[in-house]
Amino acid sequence: MSDLIQNSIDAFQNSHPIIQFCAYVSFLFMAIIMGLMIYLKSLRSRLRIKGRIEATYKKKYEADLIEYLYADDDPENNEQQQKIIAYLAKSSHNRLKRKLIINTFLKLKNEISGETADAIQNLYYKTGLINSATSTLKSKKWDAVARSVRELTQFEIKEAHDEIIPLINHPKKEVRNEIQKYLVKLFRFDGLEFLDVLESNLSEWDQIQLLEILNKFNNLEIPDMSKWLLSKNDSVVLFTLKLARIYNQYEAQEAIKSLLNHTNTEIRIEAINIVNHLGIFEAVEIIKTDLFSRCLEEQIAFFKMMEEMAMPDDIPFIKEHIQHENFYIRVSVMKIMNLITVDTDNTFKVNTITPDFSIDKDLTIAS
Amino acid sequence: MNLSKKIVLAEDNSILSKLLQFKLEKEGYQLLIATNGKEAVNLIEDNRPDMILTDIMMPFISGLEVISHVRNKLEMKTPIVVFSSAGQEEMVLNAFNLGANDFMSKPFSPNELVIRIKRLLQ
Amino acid sequence: MTLNIPQQLIDIFDYFFFGFAIAAILSYIILAIISAFETVNYMKKNSFVNYSNILSSSISPSISIIAPAYNESLNIVENVRSLLSNHYVNYDVIIVNDGSKDDSLEKLIVAYDLVKVDYLINYQIETKPLRQGVFKSTNPAFEKLIVVDKENGGKADALNLGLNISTNKYVACIDVDCLLLEDSLQKMVKPFLEATDEKVIAAGGVIRIANSCTIKDGKLLDINFPKNRIVRGQILEYLRAFLLGRMAWSKLNGLLVISGAFGLFDKKIALEVGGYDTKTVGEDMEIIVRMRRHMEEKKVKYRVAYIPDPLCWTEAPDTYKIFISQRNRWTRGTIETLKKHKKIGFNPKYHALGTISYPYWFLFERAAPIVEILGLFYFSLLIVTNNVLWDYALLFLFVAYLFTVMFSIITIITEELTYHQYRKKGMGLQLIKTAFTEPILNHPFILYAALKGNFDYYFNKKIKWGEMTRKGMTTN
Repeated sequence: MSDLIQNSIDAFQNSHPIIQFCAYVSFLFMAIIMGLMIYLKSLRSRLRIKGRIEATYKKKYEADLIEYLYADDDPENNEQQQKIIAYLAKSSHNRLKRKLIINTFLKLKNEISGETADAIQNLYYKTGLINSATSTLKSKKWDAVARSVRELTQFEIKEAHDEIIPLINHPKKEVRNEIQKYLVKLFRFDGLEFLDVLESNLSEWDQIQLLEILNKFNNLEIPDMSKWLLSKNDSVVLFTLKLARIYNQYEAQEAIKSLLNHTNTEIRIEAINIVNHLGIFEAVEIIKTDLFSRCLEEQIAFFKMMEEMAMPDDIPFIKEHIQHENFYIRVSVMKIMNLITVDTDNTFKVNTITPDFSIDKDLTIAS
Repeated sequence: MNLSKKIVLAEDNSILSKLLQFKLEKEGYQLLIATNGKEAVNLIEDNRPDMILTDIMMPFISGLEVISHVRNKLEMKTPIVVFSSAGQEEMVLNAFNLGANDFMSKPFSPNELVIRIKRLLQ
Repeated sequence: MTLNIPQQLIDIFDYFFFGFAIAAILSYIILAIISAFETVNYMKKNSFVNYSNILSSSISPSISIIAPAYNESLNIVENVRSLLSNHYVNYDVIIVNDGSKDDSLEKLIVAYDLVKVDYLINYQIETKPLRQGVFKSTNPAFEKLIVVDKENGGKADALNLGLNISTNKYVACIDVDCLLLEDSLQKMVKPFLEATDEKVIAAGGVIRIANSCTIKDGKLLDINFPKNRIVRGQILEYLRAFLLGRMAWSKLNGLLVISGAFGLFDKKIALEVGGYDTKTVGEDMEIIVRMRRHMEEKKVKYRVAYIPDPLCWTEAPDTYKIFISQRNRWTRGTIETLKKHKKIGFNPKYHALGTISYPYWFLFERAAPIVEILGLFYFSLLIVTNNVLWDYALLFLFVAYLFTVMFSIITIITEELTYHQYRKKGMGLQLIKTAFTEPILNHPFILYAALKGNFDYYFNKKIKWGEMTRKGMTTN
């Protein structure tokens, strides 16, 4: 037996280096595969345990929160409340449990307002969760910072303002965005002042986030937006045009008119799109003068806008383009001349057919 | 008198439905909870509730379909309150067209909901 | 009988095959490393994203889901219902009934109270004509639904009609039998909205395999690991491709394929390039290459994005016959696409598209099966002529096998660390078993299908469409 082993070792040592190399590599691979399999096994059981913990504690924390809130109506239950606070505070030292507690709080807080929402915020203070969030702001990990800014936003913690502001020029875009949301959620339009100095681009995603935050408040005091409409940052201008539409900024008419000749095509188009919304009739004349030297999208936007803005005087001009080669312009012309009615769901019906123009069935009717 | 009043709540946020359950049971209502539209329809068919609360956006069968089913297929006149989120104005409009009685925009105050339910059940 | 093949010739062949193998292995390793970094980055970024705002916003961009259907009567009502319950405000669902011979349309009309309407269509791409026309529901609960009945023209033609009909900014082109998770649209639209200094023209999603999973009421309730060997092999194959392949390509901005089962497109650009090509069987790959080429030629900075979250679940072929015919079609699609756009290949004017993506696809997707079969022939020749050094050959084979297994196990670990979809006890072992058996049991069929695809492409022009019989995904 030992001879056999000795012989194979000898044979191996006498074989070609490539063979030897390949043999070593395959031993290495086999070892790695074994190692990976053991790791996979332990990883899977760890994840399974984590899943079980999550499910159990999620239920527990939901019940605790409900119990806490329910006890709110009853002064005798104060002791019970203290117990829950102490328990949650203790649990929150564990990272996973802290996350579960926060998620539970937010799951409810995001859906309700009024006393109950205030009670949840109060609980966030009392359990000391706020302290761990503010101390994480100093973390070196950008994702941890962004997460805690987000948490402070969701719990509407105004006190954190002074600690958050120094981070406003954070090198990571994600952190800056979270801070912008914090400012707007807690300070409404005052929070938007960062637009004055913003140099980076505000993506459409960020714009939607900010508009949605504002959208949740009623009776906001609206500042004059003209300065942002004239910003050098195009994304700020586009964002402000959306604001101007939502908050009916009639005061911004002059600024919007000047945008009709902006260098950025997208801004020009959006400016045309808002003309009918604010009823800026002077704008119609401005665009009309050089309409056909503008790009096709602007022309389409113009005719679309005229669906609501056309005055009887404009009809002859409009009518000239009933055979325009662009589908959308043709449809707009027909709408303005009341030849067809198009519903919001894009279904339509033919109203009248003028003697000098018959509607091309191929291009309008699905039959 | 209120003891027998049954309310079906269709809402996929478990903790919100638990909170509302506590609040409403305290007021003496009996609450039946569904986590999606399909369950809601089953509960409504089996229990003939006095009131229906439903979220608009739910898995599989939306709140709109629940309303449509109750009004058109089951031909019930049960008061229906829908929960909507900001931006779903169009859907709320559709909900009213289908026969919803009232709506609450999320985030809403649970106490206000209780008041509205009381008024509708009078 | 020892025949003497000139030693130099043997050397050349040896070096060629050896070099090809080393290059392939290196490319796998490099892509896997890039994927790992990119995945960590993606997970970090996504750990605090708030999707609820985009969900409720009235200014969130509009999306049309376009789903072509051909003889899908079995499940179409359920599938449409699932598409209608996506968690997004501003979207509609366009079902294009592509000349089905069954009662799909009648079923939809009954289930969703549909009536025929006059619908404004801008025919920007030429398609087969409408058959019965456009239908919408009288029930406001289904106002998102548009059903179009047209003459049969194939998947690409149906998608093109959907592009004409859509009035929305983005289009999600999907297979009608796919199960989309509720948050799929919000997640897929995000990269388009986030981009500031480049234009995102399309985004691809991950396809996961739904065989043996429990699906009820349009929701994925329970993920199981199928017993079928063919499906098991594909699960591992898909995991490798999506977790360790496409993630890296998205980082390199070199994605050439968006799976036809689920992709989101900027409609304006899709129309600009003329929509889907009805003449190829690989229309999903071809349109991406064409859109990229278009952007390169217009010299606009662009990107094809990729969302690694498991958002789309679909039934994979579970018989050898259907599996081979699917892969055969993929092979022909790849050949046709690469041939049609050979101008960009190895052309530095097209940047990474021409110098990295195209060559990679050409070498390791298009040519790999051919190199492999040539290798096998060469090896047989060596056996016959008794020129094989068996100790070398077997050892090489063994090392290659071990590498494949190792790579698959790394994929499984990546899946566990990211999405952890196969949670149940025992599935880990099944996955590992599959990693060991797949190279032997599944790979030969993939190779066979690829060769048959080549053969059919060059010598059997009549074959156009592989049948994919649906078993049906719903189980209630």
